[in-house]
Amino acid sequence: MKTNRPAVKALAVLAAAVLLGTTACSAGGDSTTGSSDAPAATGGTLKVLGAGDVDHLDPALAAYVPTTSVMRAITRQLISYKTVDDPVQRIAPEGDLATEVPEPTNDGLTYTFTIRDGAKWNAPDGAREIVAGDFARGLKRLCNPSQSSAMLTYFYELIDGMAEFCDGFATVATDAPAMKEYIEGNEISGVKSIDDKTLEIDLVNPAGDFVYMLSLNNASPAPVEVLEYEPDSPDYRSNFISSGPYTVASYTADKELKLVRNPAWNADSDPLRAANVDGIDLTMGLTADAITQQLQAGSADMSFDINLSPALIQQLKTANDEKLVTIASGAVNPFIWVNTKTSNNDGALQKLEVRQALQYAVDKAAVVQTLGGEEVATVQNGIFGPGVLGQKDFDLYPSEGSKGDPAKAKELLTAAGYPNGLTVKMPYRTKDQEPQIAQTIQASLEKAGFTIELIPVNPTDYYSKFLTNRDSTAAGDWDIAPVGWTPDWQGGAARSVYQPQFTFTGTPQSYNYVDYNNDTANALAAKAIQATDPAEAADLWNQVDKTVMGDAIVIPIASPKAVLYHGDRVQNFIPYALSVQGDWTNVSLK
Amino acid sequence: MSVLKTPNQAAAAADVDQVHVVQRSSLALTMRRLSRDPASVIAAVFIIVLVLFAVFAPTIAAWTGHGPDEQFRETGLSPSGIPVGPGAEFLFGTDQLGRDVLVRLAYGARISLLVGVVASIVAATIGVTVGMLAGYFGGRVDTLLSRIMDLVMSVPFLLAAIALVSVLGPSLQLSIAVIIFFTWTPIGRVIRGQVLALKQREFVEAARSLGAGHLGIMFRDILPNLMVPIIIYSTLMIPSAIVFEATLSFLGMGIVPPTASWGGMLSEAAGNSIYLAAPWLVIIPGTALLFTTLAFNLLGDGLRDALDPRAARKA
Repeated sequence: MKTNRPAVKALAVLAAAVLLGTTACSAGGDSTTGSSDAPAATGGTLKVLGAGDVDHLDPALAAYVPTTSVMRAITRQLISYKTVDDPVQRIAPEGDLATEVPEPTNDGLTYTFTIRDGAKWNAPDGAREIVAGDFARGLKRLCNPSQSSAMLTYFYELIDGMAEFCDGFATVATDAPAMKEYIEGNEISGVKSIDDKTLEIDLVNPAGDFVYMLSLNNASPAPVEVLEYEPDSPDYRSNFISSGPYTVASYTADKELKLVRNPAWNADSDPLRAANVDGIDLTMGLTADAITQQLQAGSADMSFDINLSPALIQQLKTANDEKLVTIASGAVNPFIWVNTKTSNNDGALQKLEVRQALQYAVDKAAVVQTLGGEEVATVQNGIFGPGVLGQKDFDLYPSEGSKGDPAKAKELLTAAGYPNGLTVKMPYRTKDQEPQIAQTIQASLEKAGFTIELIPVNPTDYYSKFLTNRDSTAAGDWDIAPVGWTPDWQGGAARSVYQPQFTFTGTPQSYNYVDYNNDTANALAAKAIQATDPAEAADLWNQVDKTVMGDAIVIPIASPKAVLYHGDRVQNFIPYALSVQGDWTNVSLK
Repeated sequence: MSVLKTPNQAAAAADVDQVHVVQRSSLALTMRRLSRDPASVIAAVFIIVLVLFAVFAPTIAAWTGHGPDEQFRETGLSPSGIPVGPGAEFLFGTDQLGRDVLVRLAYGARISLLVGVVASIVAATIGVTVGMLAGYFGGRVDTLLSRIMDLVMSVPFLLAAIALVSVLGPSLQLSIAVIIFFTWTPIGRVIRGQVLALKQREFVEAARSLGAGHLGIMFRDILPNLMVPIIIYSTLMIPSAIVFEATLSFLGMGIVPPTASWGGMLSEAAGNSIYLAAPWLVIIPGTALLFTTLAFNLLGDGLRDALDPRAARKA
């Protein structure tokens, strides 16, 4: 619901664009006429600027959100999303290489996909149709022993036979011929090519979010030729075979990526990508300020991986720059983990009242203000961010204007046996706005009687030395710690928030720093995952959220929105849900 | 000021009545020479004002009613977190957390002066001791101590500081220790050279022939002759220590927030490009840092000219 505001704004921008389109078409020449959904101008090279590089060019491995922009241009998936302004439509699954989103059969266990005609690989020996077997190959490559996929964990337990296939694969040598032999000689029992155009996937349990998982880059099909190379190796990168509207013309790591039109792609086979521009040049290695200045000056079109600083946003807003677009990112950042494993202060943080006191004490509105105000972030009270199926407005620890309730916190602290307050250690990363956020949190907690000992930490050491380091967690090197979490996919993504952070089955998980577990929440989550009716799933996930929040193990504070900006030449700048950035394959240049 | 004016007034009196021959002490002569250098006078006045500013930081906080770490989220920030510029309520504006920059500047001056003075006194003590031992004893002692000085001088400052801070965690004490470690060597070398020359002089030989011990010669005969370089170098070490501290805090390795320090204030202003919307966050602590280092350097130069007239203005 919180996404209404940007939607209204974006619609207003769209309306303005339509008006401009109808009244000022002379600039666009003969190609733009009055109709609002007439195809935009084609041609030109989109100039994109970035600070860093893609994490991987191999879709089986790519997991970095900005990389999704590149993947959108050079790969296709069974399921994807339309690039539209409406935040609900934007995360509604659509058939991409599948002709439509299938309804599961066999009590929600079997999905049957029909592969779209005319979608082709840009193979070295001529364009070739994408077939069902390519999808099976793509899934098999996820657990290759050389570099396994970040999203493997979701598929591993869900697809029938995936676990057996992967366990066998783990014993194979990591050179390309050995991996090729294993992939060609073994099948995942739950992934079947009925014929070239029909793919059937069987699951172990029903999963309402399975179709969303198929929209991930990692679930892309793979042509047979890629088996000649180790995953994402330099050879793989220089022999990239595209299925999207663009293909790689040249790539220099950390410097430049040039995309040109893929001759094998045809517009009729792709309902989601308009591919208006002729080419895309991504230049890397620039600072955020330099990128923004170039966008302002119009010498570049879009940004790749930077966040606009609040000062820049303020500047652009003051100048009434309508090229500023805000969308929900689904992230919860920051939120505070409470260390229940430490025996600091005689294990005070293991007491529910003390954790509740922390919940009441934090001034969330102040953190939102530090982040840049309500236009760039919203107050967050649960574990699921806006846009995640199951997120609903509720607040178990309310305060006026979300400004914190120090009196209530003191009362709880006194009831817990600490009338003189508590001294708590809080590390934070010395990067971006995190020092300011830490000091904002400190100021609000101190009003409630806590004394916060701030520990500045080098960004690269933060997780390894504090949070994911089980010894330092147990030894009490930190008591509370601000972190962030972005769901791995959009929409029905509650599983990707809940499972890695809030479940513990005996094996330590990296991001469940204190081995938190709640059986009631687990039972609800199991039901929610199996629910195929979105409304029912949403209700169940909301109950999971409330159950976890009842334990006060984390203190959600804010959910940042993605604030996007682009150059003057760019038209039809509409965000694509997975890249949280304007869609390269649907923008056009004037 | 009165100390500075007295010799002036005495000189004026002497001009009028030339019958009296005024005998001036060494201190009086130094002050007289120093007071003729307007740059030194201005620098000294600036430093005195700065010390008062730092000493009375709590008074400034009480006068404005703004604590150094107090966040004025309603009056000191816009709803989107942009600081308020200099004005009636906040003379020097607010920072990105809505804190009064004036009050933080005063508290930051305390840190800068504390670090500058403490670090240069300790570093000078170490440098003088090591330099004197090396120069006086010569031979193997000199070789060993000189090589240690070479070793320390060859350690890259920032790398070592980053490594130490990431192992031990940032703190005021660690900052001072790092600064001392990296600043005692130049004065050590200078003192060693001076002692090498001094120990050949007749008065040292005389003391030795009268049966004075090593310690006696070093402290009673040589040390007083080193006062000039010690004063000059210690004064010149203060600004570099202040800049070191600011550098460490700027890189997030110095003073732990929310304690105000000038380097930390500059670092917070540079982060997230907030300086674009609030340029005073750079201008105010930057100017304070610039003028402070300039003042100490000018005073150091002035002192050198005043204390050692032979070396003065040769360049």
